[in-house]
Amino acid sequence: MAYDRPTELLVNQERVPAKGKCPECSEEQLFSYPVLSEGGWFKVVKCRHCLASLKRESDPVGQITIFSATI
Amino acid sequence: MIIDESTDRIRNLTEREFEAEYGASRYTCNVLANRSRFVAGHMSTNIVTRAFSPIISLNMDYVCAVVGPPELDYPLVGMNQGNFIFLGSLATGVRKTVEEFGVDRLAPGDLLVSNDPYRVGNHVNDACFIRPVFHGGRIVSFTVIRAHMLDIGGIIPGGFSLFKKNVYENGLVVPPMRIFEKGEPVKEVLRLFLDNGRFAATLLPDFFTINSSCALGDEQIQESVERYGLDAWLGAMRYSLDSSAEAMRRALQTLPDGEYEGEDVLDTDGADSEEIYRFHVTVIKKGKRVEVDLSGSSRQARTSLNATPLDAQTSAALGLKVLLDPQTPFTSGTYRNIDLVIPPGTISSAMPDASTHFYWEVQAALVNALINALAEPLGSRAIGGLYGSTNLHTGSGMTPDGRPWFSAAELEAQFGGWGATDAGDADGHTGTFTLNQRLTPTEEIERRVPVLLTAREYIPDTGGPGKYRGGSGFRKDSLFLADGDHWLMPLHFRFPSGFGVNGGKAGRVGGSWFFENQDPDKPECEYRLVGATDTDGVVVSGVVDENGALDENGEFAFFARVPYWTENKGSTLRWITNGGGGWGDPFEREIEAVIRDVRDGYVTILGALRDYGVVVVGDPDEDPEGLTIDEAATAAARA
Ligand SMILES: [Zn+2]
Repeated sequence: MAYDRPTELLVNQERVPAKGKCPECSEEQLFSYPVLSEGGWFKVVKCRHCLASLKRESDPVGQITIFSATI
Repeated sequence: MIIDESTDRIRNLTEREFEAEYGASRYTCNVLANRSRFVAGHMSTNIVTRAFSPIISLNMDYVCAVVGPPELDYPLVGMNQGNFIFLGSLATGVRKTVEEFGVDRLAPGDLLVSNDPYRVGNHVNDACFIRPVFHGGRIVSFTVIRAHMLDIGGIIPGGFSLFKKNVYENGLVVPPMRIFEKGEPVKEVLRLFLDNGRFAATLLPDFFTINSSCALGDEQIQESVERYGLDAWLGAMRYSLDSSAEAMRRALQTLPDGEYEGEDVLDTDGADSEEIYRFHVTVIKKGKRVEVDLSGSSRQARTSLNATPLDAQTSAALGLKVLLDPQTPFTSGTYRNIDLVIPPGTISSAMPDASTHFYWEVQAALVNALINALAEPLGSRAIGGLYGSTNLHTGSGMTPDGRPWFSAAELEAQFGGWGATDAGDADGHTGTFTLNQRLTPTEEIERRVPVLLTAREYIPDTGGPGKYRGGSGFRKDSLFLADGDHWLMPLHFRFPSGFGVNGGKAGRVGGSWFFENQDPDKPECEYRLVGATDTDGVVVSGVVDENGALDENGEFAFFARVPYWTENKGSTLRWITNGGGGWGDPFEREIEAVIRDVRDGYVTILGALRDYGVVVVGDPDEDPEGLTIDEAATAAARA
């Protein structure tokens, strides 16, 4: 699938606020966003303060859906 | 739920605990971990000694690897000392290829191939070959080769064009396919490659060599499983991964907690000189966890100056490894404690239909930005910046007797100066951290291309001054013996790349020029040899004064202001590369080291005084061993 080139010159990763409390450091600043790590892409919910992962869900597709791979 | 990130060390396990965890003794696991790298090394020997493509046999633009089975999620467990630009694609790219093809469709002796950058990273010339290794009816490993195909079609022979506007101009895109089935070639798939690529006769035997190399690895893995048992083989894989993860985790813990930002900048994407491309890296370190965030980086380029996230992962992990943990083997366990955050649509995470042909330039800039970000927290362990771009060249034309000539990735200035470290001065003629390959030998270039390489020498006062000096810039001159068109793609002559650390200074920025032959009717033996200090060439790229000489207060000359450079026979292409950054205060450099640098031509007498506060007396050209120091003047200069 074709994607548009971003219109902004510099691009930032969106971090979506998530509800909850970090079980490690009790901070409530949690965010959901994708990361690339061992094993490929993951959708994570992480604590902004201590980077603990409250959720790590493998995402085999990642950023790009390849049209021909969907047939 | 907390993701378990145990801080227990593997070495603290008792023998009994170790065997329970990894299914074999500590000794056996070490033997088999080494065995994976040994297998990859044998595959490498097989391919490098038999390949017909010079980019494989001479430049060693490939990597051989052993990847774990689906039940371990396709991890990279062993590789040869190959080209590191491929690292990030090896685990995730293999999984993508195998799962899309269908793991259940695989049989012993099969060889899969895919080259789609949006599936397996890199660019379309770098095909990924994957052979499943079966034992007792199940897949126990994959032997993998990622190798550069000499040609894959597209708008330019060899493919090295910055000016590709989309993936379609790259050439052939091959989704996951089976190129060998049960050991036999699938002729229609071979034909797909051969009918789309130039130099098909060279490519054909290489497919068989790649297949035989993967088969050799297969055979050696089978022997190992036969001898030590499957539990031990798989356990050793997990041991390799856990060892890498632990080594990186412990290395990361030596960084103080904090958020560290760094940047590198590439001049332009070649479409115009207006948009400058920024690589912004934020390293967030909290306890044992690290995030590398590329937010704030430039959007994807309009040309082929792009990379995929898998290529960015290579840079993030390799950069951290170079800085913090250079001693232990690389596996995909190295990534375990590093979360890479990459917004979609950046120059490091281009989206279809962008071309990613120049991904290695993106990788190099990312590593430079990363080591820049960590310069302060690393303190004495910081490394100076590198030379920037590989300054690619593609040329073609007709010889005087009417034969076509062609050259790609040979007549550029691909190597350059590294940054100095606390271990000492840096080398001035090495590839980027991610680009572990060799240059084509001069004799081979001159045999195939109508050109003479007339100079490759260091230029004094170009390495970043420091207690330890950055690698020097060098001059490379190529005298063409035939008319030709030249595509020149230097990407880091507008801004310094070799930043200094710990008080060290930046390396000098270089440039590129063409010296036209004013009298092409002269015989070859009378062609002008351009002198080292001659400055009457036309500047291709660099920040220069009105006469085209390097001047940091001058104007940037944009290399793509013409689509390509048409030059007559007898003209000379000149490169001057960027120097690497210095480490530490140059006024603390040992005086003996400064005098040695003056003797060896790395520093001039003037530079010794200006940059190092050392007053050298004598004539380095006529009496290099007779140089002396004016100690009183030096003490005054350094005071
Ligand atoms: Zn927390």
